[in-house]
Amino acid sequence: MQDRLHILEDLNMLYIRQMALSLEDTELQRKLDHEIRMREGACKLLAACSQREQALEATKSLLVCNSRILSYMGELQRRKEAQVLEKTGRRPSDSGPPAERSPCRGRVCISDLRIPLMWKDTEYFKNKGDLHRWAVFLLLQLGEHIQDTEMILVDRTLTDISFQSNVLFTEAGPDFELRLELYGACVEEEGALTGAPKRLATKLSSSLGRSSGRRARASLDSAGGSGSSPILLPTPAVGGPRYHLLAHTTLTLAAVQDGFRTHDLTLASHEENPAWLPLYGSVCCRLAAQPLCMTQPTASGTLRVQETRVRAGELDQAQGRPFTLSISNQYGDDEVTHTLQTESREALQSWMEALWQLFFDMSQWKQCCDEIMKIETPTPRKPPQALAKQGSLYHEMAIEPLDDIAAVTDILTQREGSRLETPPPWLAMFTDQPALPNPCSAASVAPTPAWTQPLPWGRPRTFSLDAIPPVHSPRARSVAPLPPQRSPRTRGFCSKGQPRTWLQSPV
Amino acid sequence: PTPLPGQDVAPQRVEIHKLRQGENLILGFSIGGGIDQDPSQNPFSEDKTDKGIYVTRVSEGGPAEIAGLQIGDKIMQVNGWDMTMVTHDQARKRLTKRSEEVVRLLVTRQSLQKAVQQSMLS
Repeated sequence: MQDRLHILEDLNMLYIRQMALSLEDTELQRKLDHEIRMREGACKLLAACSQREQALEATKSLLVCNSRILSYMGELQRRKEAQVLEKTGRRPSDSGPPAERSPCRGRVCISDLRIPLMWKDTEYFKNKGDLHRWAVFLLLQLGEHIQDTEMILVDRTLTDISFQSNVLFTEAGPDFELRLELYGACVEEEGALTGAPKRLATKLSSSLGRSSGRRARASLDSAGGSGSSPILLPTPAVGGPRYHLLAHTTLTLAAVQDGFRTHDLTLASHEENPAWLPLYGSVCCRLAAQPLCMTQPTASGTLRVQETRVRAGELDQAQGRPFTLSISNQYGDDEVTHTLQTESREALQSWMEALWQLFFDMSQWKQCCDEIMKIETPTPRKPPQALAKQGSLYHEMAIEPLDDIAAVTDILTQREGSRLETPPPWLAMFTDQPALPNPCSAASVAPTPAWTQPLPWGRPRTFSLDAIPPVHSPRARSVAPLPPQRSPRTRGFCSKGQPRTWLQSPV
Repeated sequence: PTPLPGQDVAPQRVEIHKLRQGENLILGFSIGGGIDQDPSQNPFSEDKTDKGIYVTRVSEGGPAEIAGLQIGDKIMQVNGWDMTMVTHDQARKRLTKRSEEVVRLLVTRQSLQKAVQQSMLS
């Protein structure tokens, strides 16, 4: 079964690559190739992880890669369709009458993202003995570009989820749609704080052995937790962490402001979902936009347009002042007119063209043209600490000889029933027998340097190394108050309008 | 204890021993307010955007009156659980847990004069 899945996957990848090739779209092709390789690397890393936090990072990378691949696929389809329709002389179905003018592009930057939590809303947590933790991150999409924030660990002591990243999109139009998606996963394995033997048994039986095929098929049937269509990009991480979509929202030009604003989140999961978090229902951020017309020099420089009339003077007007351009501005009650002379009709026309384009851009980008909004170039994010350290990838769980091996084999025997005829290959790990042929093919390895070491199944037991925990974002205890107009949301609903009642209840 | 900013009187601790009435344990007062309610209709609050839980009625001779709870009191906590950011129903539930025979409330109270003024204005 596993083989068949691999073949399907390879065929899909082949198809994607062929499409890119046939379009001769080298840039998109390059990006696709890159994501495909990243994805392969993430899959291998996920199979090799033994620590939950590494698995969470790897699953996140996988989710991001999958989303990007799908997005590029969609873009390829659109371009292919456009190309085909052009050839047959028909216009693509989704384009209206050709616009006379298209607005300039701009840079859109979202930063200081903060999502308030509302722990008091539920008493679910007070009964839990252990501190329940979640791993969350944001996926941001504008056009076909997808970016992600860092992953943050959340527990009941946090009042907000605060992301340090600032995310920049460079090719936005004024009609942009920036989609935010919040994904979360349980840090503790779903359904248990069970002991080591059970965990180990689950891990072993899912990564090796015959049940993996059955499980892989099961994971295909249920909606993939990695957020992608399961058939196209099957999730290899059976038994690994699963991210669930917790909330989403879409931001447009209207949301842009040189300052912090609060926006509504549409909640996408409910309490039964294992990764459910008590979200207040809002997201705060700074969404800035710099249209190119504000930052790049145009033919006539940057104008502040306030009741300005621009008229081109024609040759047949006042003699001696050919090819003129006059600009009138209203300053209170006064009107001031400047007349500019150009050297030829062509020069005049190109000045006029530049001015009209500028006016059009300003009408499209609206408030972004009032003043230039500052955008800091995001610093490249540090790779998560656990991955950066060479050699910490392949932690091995310490197995005390007395207790766990017997428990592990018992559990597995029970699960597999009488189907186990020959001793499973992983048994060699626990005995001193010479290592059996490596069940994991270390054949094609991702080109990234950190992952070139093959899986050391044959090594003698070592105790796990203490990994440096990933850097936590500073805990936000005091929180800037939300703008007073917000009305809190009830779980799962979008409550429209203000409450009308003031109930009184006897107790 | 010193008064909180905006309050004339220091927060009060009120310990109410519930009274058994048949199958129910009652406290003998009524509450109004909540984050899902319209705060402008609260006759007792000074700030009309305050969505907190307020005591709207105290039964004569009931456990709440005996414990010293007063009409117009704003309930800040019940047995350590915050009551300033809860819905109306959550507030009611926190007060009426069957497993608790005693509830310890932390309340704040305006001066008597102000309370009378407020209720006369609405």
